[in-house]
Amino acid sequence: MTDSKDPRLTDETRLEEVRRRASELAADLPQLARIALETMIRDHNPAYKGSAKKAGRAGKQSGNVSELTAIAKLKPGGADRLRRIFDLTDGNMDGAQRVSTLHDMRFVFFDDDTRILFATAYDGDWDTYINDFATKIPGLMDLLFANIEGWPGIDSPKVKDFIADHQIDAAGWFVANPQVTVVDVRRYQRMEKALGAFLDAMAVNKEMDPATRTALEKLSTEIAKPEGVDY
Amino acid sequence: MGILGNLAARFRRESVTLELDDIQALILRSRPEPYVGIHAMLHVDEAEGGRDLVRRLARHVPAASDWTEERDAWMGVALSHAGLRALGLPETALKSFPLAFRQGMAERAEQLRDFGENAPETWEEAFKPGNCHIALTIYARDDEALDRTIERAMEEYDRSHGVTLLGTHRFGADADAKNPFGFRDSISQPTVAGSGVEPQPGQERAIAAGEFILGENSEAGAPVAMPEPSILGRNGSFVVLRKYQSRVGAFNDFVRRHAESEHEQEKLGAKMFGRWRSGAPLVLSPDRDDPELGGDPSRNNDFDFSKDPRGLVCPHSAHMRRLNPRGSELTILTDENIHRIIRRSSTFGPKWSADVSAADDAREDRGIFFIFISARAYDTIEFLQQEWINRGNFIDLGEERDPVVGLHEEPGHFTIPADPVRRRLDGVTTFNRLRGGEYMFMPSLSALDWIGNAGWR
Repeated sequence: MTDSKDPRLTDETRLEEVRRRASELAADLPQLARIALETMIRDHNPAYKGSAKKAGRAGKQSGNVSELTAIAKLKPGGADRLRRIFDLTDGNMDGAQRVSTLHDMRFVFFDDDTRILFATAYDGDWDTYINDFATKIPGLMDLLFANIEGWPGIDSPKVKDFIADHQIDAAGWFVANPQVTVVDVRRYQRMEKALGAFLDAMAVNKEMDPATRTALEKLSTEIAKPEGVDY
Repeated sequence: MGILGNLAARFRRESVTLELDDIQALILRSRPEPYVGIHAMLHVDEAEGGRDLVRRLARHVPAASDWTEERDAWMGVALSHAGLRALGLPETALKSFPLAFRQGMAERAEQLRDFGENAPETWEEAFKPGNCHIALTIYARDDEALDRTIERAMEEYDRSHGVTLLGTHRFGADADAKNPFGFRDSISQPTVAGSGVEPQPGQERAIAAGEFILGENSEAGAPVAMPEPSILGRNGSFVVLRKYQSRVGAFNDFVRRHAESEHEQEKLGAKMFGRWRSGAPLVLSPDRDDPELGGDPSRNNDFDFSKDPRGLVCPHSAHMRRLNPRGSELTILTDENIHRIIRRSSTFGPKWSADVSAADDAREDRGIFFIFISARAYDTIEFLQQEWINRGNFIDLGEERDPVVGLHEEPGHFTIPADPVRRRLDGVTTFNRLRGGEYMFMPSLSALDWIGNAGWR
């Protein structure tokens, strides 16, 4: 029988199921075969390689980057209160930014504002820094999540269980730069600027010793290699 | 005057808020210097016999009431989740423990980054899941006191039934209290609020008691997760036990390969540990060891990293700075005060000497029982293993790992900030290999009694 929990498939007879699966497979085959073949023959640069591990207790992880997707019931009026917070901060979540492991967060209301979809991409395992948030930004965490039915409070020993109980593992999780953390990106941005200034200084340096010259030539060659983005 | 004498003079009974007479002495009492001791591991084959032994052992476990006073020897008892189950605790109580403790250390390999040669499949037999039920530790001032206490414990064991002694491990260190690599260790211990001793000027503030004692308020305000009923959880704590084999020879070789003179080698070792061999912190003595400073408990921990933001004196990646960043600016929002640990590690094997090389490591005769106590010990070790030991993201060093206790499945780097340009050493390997470990629960004295007498009945 099918593994799917889709209730529409439960009334299917065995023969209907075989027919449906065969035709689905036939339709998907050329594309699936192509993906499988490409995955096999492509020589991925290990620096960009992803993976599909579990992100600790729940969620998927690719390299360093994990996903957390949760669906929960909102308290009456919760959607409006959250909207006011988002409007006020204009997408600028101070505190959340200090966390420095969050790549992004999204809050989506549905079912007439009675439910919320929370989805985020972040570095590492999901529960590693929960205890730190509980002491460093308890107000922000509670402000955001107190509108959810049953939220036990960020300082509650039950908070990890509460989040895990509302999480749904993503079926597919693809990350363009799975090895790169938010902290790494900030460093790269800083280095880009510093490297520019360094190269400016070197460009006018007339008295360059041979070792410096060789090192700079190598550096220039390496950074002058444009590369297509290979997922 | 040693650490203990110092503490006794500073102890104020009127400022005690903890229930010291219900807390196991080992939680608050530091190792003596010099110290000797023994670890024993037991397996409970039959619940009633196991409880009988717990009840009788409990009589030999001192309370923390006089924890600042001299004492010849003291015993501590801790139980694993499998042990609590084997002792017949009711399902409701077993289920009330936090998930990681219920699963046991081997099953948490993913969260602990215990992969490759550190994976549970490679562990010693005693640590294979479900084997270690009761861990008993005795610390003593000298061999004579230790033997007396062991004798008393063995009498109780000989009279018991349905319990198997899996093994014992005797250890000891002289007054230098040095680890297998020849560095003085267990220097930094947190001050527990409400224990009756206030931090001295220059010391960091006391840490909320709930970080170490269950039922007390933690740094977050409320108490951390605690098993139920309250007689079982209250005044207890959790213990992380990890046995490491130390590859002293590989470490010596690494230092020799990257530094010419003996002084340069000593300095590189200090850069990796964060302290010189005597325990003198790099920050207070940047250029050479200072044994007087290293041995002075009023000075050897009186520092932070606020004046060394670039890590030019003590590298960000140094073991000691990683595991206690003391005011370093970290890239990730972190509360240092909730990752503090009470260290109770013990060293075994020959004393360190410079002539040991990698070939000698095959004897596997040196190592550390890395033991610490915290009310959230299971969370703390997983945090430390993931973030502070086997990564560099929190100090802007990407994938760089702890040069002393990191797992290096492939040879790693060690970055030493310097002017005009940083040095980065290659070829860091796993200098401490994990041989096994377990999550333990260290119950209060009344909880030991409750367990021993099957108080749930």
